Amino acid sequence: MSVTTEGGVLVVTRHPQPGRSLARAALDTALATAAFDQPVNLLFLGAGVLQLLPQQDSTSVGVRNLRKVIDSMPLYDLERCYVDADAVERFGLTAEDLPCGAVLVGREAQRSLLDSHQHILGF
Amino acid sequence: MLHTLSCGPGHPAVKECIALLRADDALLLLGDGVYIALQQSQDWAAMQSSGASLHVLDADARVAGVHHRLAPCFKVIDDDGFVSLTEKHSKQMAWY
Amino acid sequence: MSLNYCLLVLAAPVSGHTSLTAARFGAALLSRGHTLGRVFFLDNGTSNGLASAVTPQDERSPQQAWSELANTHGTELVLCVSSAVKRGLLDAAEAQRHGFPAATVHPGFILGGLGLLVEAMQSADRVITFGAAG
Repeated sequence: MSVTTEGGVLVVTRHPQPGRSLARAALDTALATAAFDQPVNLLFLGAGVLQLLPQQDSTSVGVRNLRKVIDSMPLYDLERCYVDADAVERFGLTAEDLPCGAVLVGREAQRSLLDSHQHILGF
Repeated sequence: MLHTLSCGPGHPAVKECIALLRADDALLLLGDGVYIALQQSQDWAAMQSSGASLHVLDADARVAGVHHRLAPCFKVIDDDGFVSLTEKHSKQMAWY
Repeated sequence: MSLNYCLLVLAAPVSGHTSLTAARFGAALLSRGHTLGRVFFLDNGTSNGLASAVTPQDERSPQQAWSELANTHGTELVLCVSSAVKRGLLDAAEAQRHGFPAATVHPGFILGGLGLLVEAMQSADRVITFGAAG
């Protein structure tokens, strides 16, 4: 995989959703950046890939469904969503589980993403 | 780039950080992260072999009581030293 | 060379001392001749701006550490409005809108949208994030 983006913001999201509002804050930040027409990419790293589990049902808890937010991202011009390939395998997610447009990235590509953006926000 | 790590030994972020650490990077341990620099722990061995320059924030090492037990590969820096790391490295990844 | 910094604070004052470290970092960068136009507090970080938080006498108050930066250097302290309101941090306008008798945000801080973070990042040479687990 080649990473061509120069500049822009990389939002790295590493924590799963339940019990934490940090995952949601990372998505909101990425969406806001895109809404202001600034280049932004999202990297789901480590346990952060668990945010991508499909069939999330948050109605009984009464919080927002994070996966629905993630699936809405292409609407906001936030098309690039990079996902830690090792973590996907470790947690048993499959290609069908991942949102449309997700790109699996190994360690070297993850490092290139860190290198190719102007700012990194670690959530 | 600069990595700041504020999780203690055994936290998954430690491994994730080490995996993306490169020789021209700097690493700064703060908060609970300072325990990784304990000489006896050996958790820092993989950090050392990455070739990155390794640092511990003085105030946090003192508050944890580890400042006299640090592995010699770590350089102890104050707030001014922390800023200086961000001058040299144009971006930072926060691991916590 | 003087650099323009933007800080993103995600750590609450009650979860370790990360937010105090961040405030000290802010003071240190200013004393080295850099500029700090804006600090953006998001998620649990917004509780740094809680006016009614009482710090024990032998501890350092994060509100005070941050307001010192605002008072002496004109650094803008922005609490993400959606994170803040959820945590009961209301300025006068929000308090009135939601029917509460008084503001709970420390006067050194203001409420604002994520756009203010985006704007600060655009003009910043350095963006430094301070987060805390838990």
